[in-house]
Order: sequence, then C-alpha cells, then structure tokens
Amino acid sequence: MADATRYLGQGLLYALFFLPIVYFTHEPQHRHLAEDMAELKIAVRHAGVTIGECTDVQAGAYTPLPGNKQRPQICPRERSPLELELLMDGKPLYRASVSPSGLHDDGVASIYRRFTVPAGRHNLELRMNDNVAVEGYPWVLEQEVDLQPAQVMVASFKDGFRLQ
Amino acid sequence: MKTLLKKGFNQLDAVFSRVFTPAWNPMYQLGALGFFYFWIVAVTGVYLFIFFETSISGAYSSIEQITVGQWYLGGVMRSFHRYASAAMGVTVTLHLLREFAMDRYSGPRWFSWVSGVPLLWLLFASAIGGYWLVWDVQAQYIAVLTSEWFDWLPIMVDPMASNFLNEATLSDRFFSLLVFLHIGIPLALLLGMFIHIKRVTAARSNPAKGLAAGTLLAMLVVSLWRPALSQAPANLDMAVTEVGLDWIFLNPYPLINSWGPGQTWALLVGLSTALCLLPWLPSRRPKQSPVAVVYPPDCNGCGWCLADCPYEAISMKEHDYKPGHKQSVVDPDLCVSCGICAGACPSSSPFRHVDELTTGISIPGLHIKELLSLTETKLRELGTEAPRVLLYGCDHGSVVEGMASNTVATISMPCSALVPPAFVDYVLRQNLAEGVLISGCCEGDCYHRLGNTWMDQRFAMERMPVLRTRVPREQVRLRWLGAQGTSELGRELIAFQQELRENSAVVDPIRLQEASNG
Repeated sequence: MADATRYLGQGLLYALFFLPIVYFTHEPQHRHLAEDMAELKIAVRHAGVTIGECTDVQAGAYTPLPGNKQRPQICPRERSPLELELLMDGKPLYRASVSPSGLHDDGVASIYRRFTVPAGRHNLELRMNDNVAVEGYPWVLEQEVDLQPAQVMVASFKDGFRLQ
Repeated sequence: MKTLLKKGFNQLDAVFSRVFTPAWNPMYQLGALGFFYFWIVAVTGVYLFIFFETSISGAYSSIEQITVGQWYLGGVMRSFHRYASAAMGVTVTLHLLREFAMDRYSGPRWFSWVSGVPLLWLLFASAIGGYWLVWDVQAQYIAVLTSEWFDWLPIMVDPMASNFLNEATLSDRFFSLLVFLHIGIPLALLLGMFIHIKRVTAARSNPAKGLAAGTLLAMLVVSLWRPALSQAPANLDMAVTEVGLDWIFLNPYPLINSWGPGQTWALLVGLSTALCLLPWLPSRRPKQSPVAVVYPPDCNGCGWCLADCPYEAISMKEHDYKPGHKQSVVDPDLCVSCGICAGACPSSSPFRHVDELTTGISIPGLHIKELLSLTETKLRELGTEAPRVLLYGCDHGSVVEGMASNTVATISMPCSALVPPAFVDYVLRQNLAEGVLISGCCEGDCYHRLGNTWMDQRFAMERMPVLRTRVPREQVRLRWLGAQGTSELGRELIAFQQELRENSAVVDPIRLQEASNG
C-alpha cells in the first residue's frame, strides 16, 4: 500500500475510533426526570428514646470500688427504632421502621429516601414514633405544599419535622 | 459467541495490519494503548489540578476559567484528559473482549485475567470521580445516584446522600475528599496495572512510537474541534431533568435509578464474579498438554530457554550433578507446553554426534526427536519433482494441513518457535527439501506472545540459537499471517516454489538427483 493511501487510511481509522468517543462522552441526552415531576426527599437522623428506665443501684453493690467511682443508677443503652410514615394526599407513600445504629442499638437511626412525585399542590403528612413505650405518632407534620416542576423539597427532622 | 468474536477480531486485525502495518497495528497493542492513555490522563491531570479550586463555588468556575480563559492550553489539556480517559475505557474493553475471543485467559494466564477485573472497577471509579469534580448538572446527577447506590450497602451507617439534599447541606470538605479520591484511586489503578502485567515476560506497556504519535495528533485535532465542556452548573435545590451523560463510563447510572441500587449491585458484582470465574469454567478448548521436561544430562545451563519463555515458567538452579553449572527448572503451574524452550535449546541440533537425538528441554507432546523423525519421514514421502518445500505451521496461525501436496510437506505444532534453527540448516544440507517455509500467528500477535518475534530474531542472527550464515536465505521464508491469512499463505507458498524454481542456481541438480534416488 502506498504511503499516502496508508496515512489516509490511518486518518480514517483514527476518526472512526475517536468520533464515537466524542459523541458518546455527552450524547445522547438522558431524561432523568419528566418535565412535570418534582422530587421529595426525606432525610431524618435522630436518636430514639432509650428503652426502659434507669434503676437505682442498691447500697453495697459496688463495694469493691471507691465511692467516687460508684454510680447511683444503671441506665439502659438500647434506643427505640424510628417508625416513620409519609402520606401524600391521604395515601401512604412510604412507611419504614429503622433500627438504631451501633452494636447495642444505642446510636442514631438514619432514614434517607428520594421520591419522584408529580408537581403541583399536595397535602403532605409526616408521622414519626421514636418511643416504643408510646402508642401512635408523637411527631406529626401536615402541610399543604405547591411543588414546582423539578423542585427538590426536603423533609428533615430536628425537634420536629421541617420542610425545606 | 467466542467464535464469532474471534472471526470479527481477525477481520479487524487484517484491516488494521494493512493500513497501520503489523508493527503499528493498534489491535495488537490494546493493553499498551491503555497504559499510554493512562499516562496522558495523569500528565494532563497534574496540570488541571494546579488551577482547580476545591470548593463548591470555586470548582465549577475554576474549570470554566481553565476551559475558556486558556482554551489554547488548559482547554486542550482538559479535552485530552477527558478523551484519553474515554479512549482508555474503550481500549480496555476491547482488550478484554479480544483476550477472551482469542482464548488467552485460562491456564497460567488466569492471573492476568483475574487481576484485570478489579482494574475495571478502579478505572470506572477514577473516571466517575473526575466528572464529579466539575460540579455541573452531570456531576450533580452522579453525586446523588452514587451516594444512593452506596447507601444501599449495609456498611453505610449515615446516608452519604444526606450530603446532597440541597445547596445548604453541601460542604467544601466534601470536595477535598473527592480530590483526594480522584488522586488516590488512579494511583491504586496504576499499582493494579503493574500487578496485572507482573507475571508477563517482556510485557508491552508502550505502544509503537508511530501509533503513539498518530494517537496524540488525532486527539489534538479532536480537542480543538470539539473541546470538552461543562454543562450548566449544579444546583441541588433543583432536580436534574435532562443531562448529557458520558455513556462510556456512566452507563450503569440510569440502571441505578430505574432498577434500584440493589439490583445494580447484583448485576455488576455478578458480572465481575462471572469474569473472575471464567478461566475455570468448562469450555471446548483443548486439554492442557503435559508440561515441558528438563533432561539434566543435556542441559548445560545456558539459560536460553529461560530468556525465551513467554510465561516465566523457567528458572535456573544448581545442576543436579555438574558442579558449578546451572540447570533449568520448569514451573508446572506456569508452563503452557508451547515448546518455545525446546526451540531455544542449543542441544536441539540434529547435527550432534549422538545415536538418538536428545535435548536439554522439550515438551512430551512433541519431543524434539519426534519432530525430527516426523520431518524426515514427511519429506522422504514427497515425490521427486523439485522444488520440494517443508512448511512448518503453528496450531493457532495459518492452517497448513490442507497445503500438503506431492512437493509440500506440512507439520503443525503448538508454536512455530519450537523449530530449532538447526533443523532448517539440517533439512537443506541433507537435501531433504529445497525450501523451508515457517508460518504462524500474525506478526506482533503471537498466541504464545513472543514466538514469531523470537523466530525473526533467531533467523536474523540477533538471538540465540541463530540460523547459521551458511544457510542460503533465499531458500528460507518466515511468514506470519495468522489464521485469517491462510489463503494468502497458500499463494505465498506457490510464489516461493516458483522463486525456488526460477532461482534454480541455489538448488544443486546433482544433489537433487541423489536425493530423489535415495
């Protein structure tokens, strides 16, 4: 094969190699979210109430220890799981029971979920129980929201639910 | 599927060899090209890092400044960085498919195959980390889905996705961590690449200079024509609706969103596990022949077999009973019975004054004594019509069996480099044939990695054992055309015979007559 033809052929093959690379590094476009949809995220990081009561240490139980090292009470470490419910327009969208972290179930419980929901006006209701000793949901938030297309609304918890 | 792939690659090989020449054929150096692209990405990455700001507000603007403000250098560097990483992804994928199609992943090759699987993960992680740093809408898309994907794993206590809830939750420290990962993961990739080729003799980690230059030129043209650009800046208060994706590296992401993280993990880990197990799965490949055997009485410890073994299966030890001498040792776990060692052994010479030809090292499937016997028998069965040609071939290259005729004797073996150069000398001196043609795999793409390279060097007197100067070169041919070049080899054989006939001065008619009588 003559040199010129060979170099021309090489140019063609380089083009055949790089053109798909150039194209596929940014095309075709990917539709991740429909135009009339929005996103709702729940992000809760909360330590449930400890399970059980502290009990007084009876006199003499720590006799081998000096007085300053003796504890007056023994408290349980295990915490309640979080029971969480999300309702949208009266219909349940999400329900979960999340255990606390840690080997002794004594850490915080974390919940994260992302939902794709239609944009527009909705009634959101968030309920959470962080104490197994209590029936029902001690923490509740009910709110009307107007979600714009592609808007991200975050439901978080710090001494109560908040929508941002 | 493997057969189809092999046919496809053979056809591509032929096209690329014609256009690039075998020495520059990119299909024969896909792994080396992977290394080359890695170094381009590394060098350009260092330059980009000098100007990159590791903060939420600074990341996007600093990259825009590099791309637009100094388009002639920083912009080109960025394009090289992106396109070289994508090209690395493509060449690595082709490399994997080609090694699978050509059946080069089992036996002692399992180590390179299996060690390549985690490299795929590291390569993808490196590329994804790079896209993340740009902090445009594609980065936002990656950030949210990657964190949700990892949060699915039970080892995650606090959800990583909580860092990307909205603009308020994003922190500069996360960018510092990303930069650290984008440097650390490629370094781990480099270490893995080193391990990947550790057990390979004379591993090729640099492509041919001409190919490298052509690649750089092509990338420069592409970078000036279509520079790599950012998309709109990320805004976590708004969801990503439509995004331009790099489908080479980000192809699993739509799956994470539609299938869910668990199924995507199952698919990718399942695929990786299947790839790792592939070398041990049943297949129709021929059973491994018995490994090479050393004969201490004929081993003088020269080390030529050690130098030629493509699989590092040979080492040297103190000779069993010759004080001060070395002796070859074969590692049965690494030997593939190619026979290249037997071709390299100086004792594999039919001119030795021994009653029965023995040698220092040989494969039991085709001992050098049997090869000699087969050669003599087949040549003596030929007719008297000249020129008679001995055609040696390899089991993985051009198919020589069908070319046998009244004037052509054919012998196929695991690798053509099993033929000691002294055999060619012997055949011509004994007037058993007027010509010897040795064929095999394509030039630069030997099934046993280095067989045809070693033969070229032995016949050019650049490597021991050499083909002696007294052997008339016009009566010897080496042709590396591969399985796809079988027809071409047939034509070359006819042309070779024609040349021998025309150049009859090289053929002594008296000796020819004697040979035909006796």
